[in-house]
Parts: sequence; structure tokens; C-alpha cells
Amino acid sequence: MGVQKFRSIEEMNKAPVPSSREPNFERFLRHCAQWWAIAPMRYPRGVFKFRTIEEAQKAREKYRLLK
Amino acid sequence: MTHTTAKGYATRVDRDEIMRLLQAFQAAGLEYVLIGAAAMGFHGLIRTTQDLDLLIGATAENIERLRSALRAVYPDDPNISEISSEDLLGDYPAVRYVPPSGDLYLDVLTRLGEVASFETVEAEIHDIDGTQVNLATPSALYKLKKGTVRLQDQADAAALRERFKLKGE
Repeated sequence: MGVQKFRSIEEMNKAPVPSSREPNFERFLRHCAQWWAIAPMRYPRGVFKFRTIEEAQKAREKYRLLK
Repeated sequence: MTHTTAKGYATRVDRDEIMRLLQAFQAAGLEYVLIGAAAMGFHGLIRTTQDLDLLIGATAENIERLRSALRAVYPDDPNISEISSEDLLGDYPAVRYVPPSGDLYLDVLTRLGEVASFETVEAEIHDIDGTQVNLATPSALYKLKKGTVRLQDQADAAALRERFKLKGE
């Protein structure tokens, strides 16, 4: 299924997305590796403690915004 | 070895590091459930992330297993000693560990909100190259994500609901 043709965007949206035969785990790692290559992490090394998951997420966003 | 080749990876280190971690968790007998984007990736909902989210059994023995597993992978990192049961079983149920390699980090949780814990999250075991990975089910991931305010979690919940035909409000 190299090329699919559609007469409308609606028709395109209804079409199943072609899926890779590659295992999910491999696709996930490849996807992440590509992202890490473009956007290397700036998070400092070490151990960080949070009282809630929301606190942890805020800290992650802070370093993401520093990029 | 049944995995595909690493063609297309930025480096092989990324895959190898994650596999070393998963193998070390198994060798140490760590009680954990993989949640978050990595778990979604295992289920075929691929999005990028830089962390592995682990919900672990909340006991001092299990936290020692975690430290032991991390020391097996990062033997020269003194920071691992800062991961303590006092914190994880006390006021800090969320600990982020950023290893020296720095390409990925681990968010380790002993509880998630008021209801979710290692014991209460439905999980299933997946095998990757002979390594057993304890993975939250799509339904469990959906339950964890559907009630949160973070936009990414809401998007994840919607994707899980649609892909796995989950029922939910």
C-alpha cells in the first residue's frame, strides 16, 4: 500500500492508517531516538523528589521550555 | 533475538540502555508496572517521550531492589543512593532519576493520586527478547489518564479509548 488516493479529505480521514510490520516496541524506540537526536534533553542529572505527580510534570515543563 | 535491526535509530545506545534497565528490573525482582508514554508505545500508540514512568510496589524491600537494578546499569552513579524509602514511602511519592547518560530519565512513583498503586493497576506481561516487562493494560492506562487536567494525558486517554474501543465518560 505505497500510495493511497482519495477524492476528499473526509474519505482520507476514514481510511485506516497503514501500519508498520515492525513491533510496537521498536517503533516506539525509533520514534523517541529520532526525537532525542533533534531535541536533546537539558534536564540536570541526579535525583529529584516531588510531593505530587503534578509537581513532577511542572518541573519537566520548566526544563522543556529552557530549550 | 527476535527484534528488528536498529536501522534508523539515532544511536543504538537508546535501545540498549532501555533494554539494560528492563533486564535489570527483572533480575532484581522489582515489582513495577510500566505506565505512561512508554507503555502506550508498547500497545502501539506511538508518541515521543524522554522518560520511563514506573509505578513500583511501595515497600522498603522493593525500593532496595530498584536501587540495586539501577546500580547494575549505572554502577558509577552515586546519586542512586539518594533514592530512599523514607521519601518514596513518605512525603515524596514521585522521584525523578536522571542517569549520567542523560538521554532518558525515570519517573518512579509509589502512588498516583489517591487511588492508583502498584497493587491496583491492572497489568500484563510482555516479552521482549526474553525480558519480561510488566505493562499497564490499555484499560488501566485509560483510567489513569482520563481524569487528569494535563492536555497530553487527555489526548492519550482519547487515543486509548478510540484504539481499544474503551468505554468511558
